[in-house]
Amino acid sequence: MSESTKNGNGAPHVELRRVTKRYGTVTAISDLSLTVEKGSFTALLGPSGCGKSTLLRMIAGLEEITAGQCFIDSVDVTDVPPAQRRIAMVFQSYALYPHMTVRQNIAFSLSVAGAPRKVQDERALEVARILQLEAYLDRRPAELSGGQRQRVAIGRALVRKPEVFLFDEPLSNLDAKLRVQMRLELAKLHADLRTTMIYVTHDQTEAMTLADRIVVLDKGTISQVGSPLELYNHPANKFVAAFIGSPSMNFLAADLAAAIDGVASVALQGGRTARARVRTGAKADGPVELGVRPEHLALVSPSDATAAFTGAVVIVERLGSATILYIDTPAGQLIVQGEGNLSAKPGETVGLALNETNVHLFGPSGAAL
Amino acid sequence: MSASVETRLDAPAAPGSRRLARMRHFDLVGLCVTLATLALAILWAFPLYWGVVTTFKPEDEVVQPGVQLWPKDFTFENYGHVLLQTKIGIWYLNSLITSVAVTIIVLIMAAGAGYAISQLEFPGRRFFWWMILASFMVPIPALIVTHFLVLNQLNLINTLAGVVGPQLIAPVTVIIYKQFFDSVPKDFREAAVIDGATDFQLLFRIYLPMNWGITTALAIITFIGAWNLFLWPFIAVSSEDKMNITVGITQVHDAFGVQYARDLAVAMLAALPVAVVYLIFQRRVTQAIMLSAGIKG
Repeated sequence: MSESTKNGNGAPHVELRRVTKRYGTVTAISDLSLTVEKGSFTALLGPSGCGKSTLLRMIAGLEEITAGQCFIDSVDVTDVPPAQRRIAMVFQSYALYPHMTVRQNIAFSLSVAGAPRKVQDERALEVARILQLEAYLDRRPAELSGGQRQRVAIGRALVRKPEVFLFDEPLSNLDAKLRVQMRLELAKLHADLRTTMIYVTHDQTEAMTLADRIVVLDKGTISQVGSPLELYNHPANKFVAAFIGSPSMNFLAADLAAAIDGVASVALQGGRTARARVRTGAKADGPVELGVRPEHLALVSPSDATAAFTGAVVIVERLGSATILYIDTPAGQLIVQGEGNLSAKPGETVGLALNETNVHLFGPSGAAL
Repeated sequence: MSASVETRLDAPAAPGSRRLARMRHFDLVGLCVTLATLALAILWAFPLYWGVVTTFKPEDEVVQPGVQLWPKDFTFENYGHVLLQTKIGIWYLNSLITSVAVTIIVLIMAAGAGYAISQLEFPGRRFFWWMILASFMVPIPALIVTHFLVLNQLNLINTLAGVVGPQLIAPVTVIIYKQFFDSVPKDFREAAVIDGATDFQLLFRIYLPMNWGITTALAIITFIGAWNLFLWPFIAVSSEDKMNITVGITQVHDAFGVQYARDLAVAMLAALPVAVVYLIFQRRVTQAIMLSAGIKG
């Protein structure tokens, strides 16, 4: 399995060639290949236990690679110690040394390398200016807020002038508001530095908003690599389709009746039919799953000719800018996302129309047709 | 329904009066416990008081029958004799040198061993850990003959190095350090490794400073233990110039035999530094004792 992520520069920067990681009999990463190109912001996205942090730690050199090779800047670093890989890592816990001041934390890598005190102070100040931490240089981590600690952790990475930044779920300890703010700051930092950044997260919003390429991982293998919109609009399989997007995509059991010239006709439960675009070569061979995003279902009158399903509204969630409806239909519960002022009440019977240009079909193996 | 409400409304009154009665009962129990504690404290402190008072009595008053709670003739003669006529200065110095040496070496060795067993992967790591745990089970006095023979072969008997040597076996300190290093989140280590820190830098710049309280507690208790040690220095040293203060006490006698007041005076002087250390670092000493007992403080 080989996947690559692209960016403006086009040169491969980090490359994993057929890497495998085993812990005893458990395989965490299985024969995975990945290329991250110079200057890109790549997110490794997946649910807990999919191997994304393991993969990042393998790039960092914190996990031994059981099989395969890791290259940074075309140099095989598989057996190179972490400190010599010219990488810097920001941990989920920030890992700030509690007995050191912000200045000492930021300058720690320079200090262990034996840099003169003056150089350490100058570099720490320079980084503190970028991250607006000048006022806190003499404070200890315990005296900082979550966001400030996060910035110090980034500063500690920044001071090393690394070739590659590695982030291991750096925002997951922050509250929702601060997370949005830090997300913005990270995006600005990447825009300013144009350094390769690899970012592990289980939060699809973080991945979608920050990364220019997303690597979706599932059970130690790559499910799909692409830009945020590619993943959203053209998921390669049911796993990616279900994982990307909030609320999650609806899946309906269907029968593929015909597939001619890239357009398939599927029979839905209840006798209705729907059309969907498929790759040419897809064959009508029985049961499939039809995927439709909540925003691609529209509320219509139950008697409307376009209504593919009718059902009863169970829950109405009003988010202000949007309204989420949970509707019980003969095909199962469906989620519908409409405008903020959508008028619907629990218990009301409604019809649902499919936006056929935006439906996806998945075969029995889960792969997109 | 209303009945049940009423029951609920009435209910607090009964527990309230019961609580009051219980408080009175507790007060009585508390008073008894306080008095018993006070009696025990007096019982414990009396020998100490007796010892201190005796040092201010002339020897003939000490040996008189009966109980004299306060000296009839208050004198500093005993302290004068100990300070001017014995080698107490050298004994103090020897105690200081050996105790400081034991403290520093034990802490460095134990921190290093604890770090290695906790954080490093090397062949035989588990074996060394079990050896340290096993050595913890062997009482040090049981090894005294072996220590004497080994140090005699090394020509270290009657030297300060000979006094220090066997005291460097401190498995409890290694175990405590290992426990604490185990509890340091691995992110700290990994962040420092990525920053290029060596294992020495990790130990001395991250792990030890992050566990500074433990090091202080262990230093105090190791120092006090080394200062108070009697059996080994008594066996290892026969020259008066190499004696520790604890062994030096045995040398305070004259042609008329043991002089109790002088002996007690030198004992008080010997205990003074430890008492001062204890008073200054009371909380740390308590923490160290709890740590040694296997209770993480």
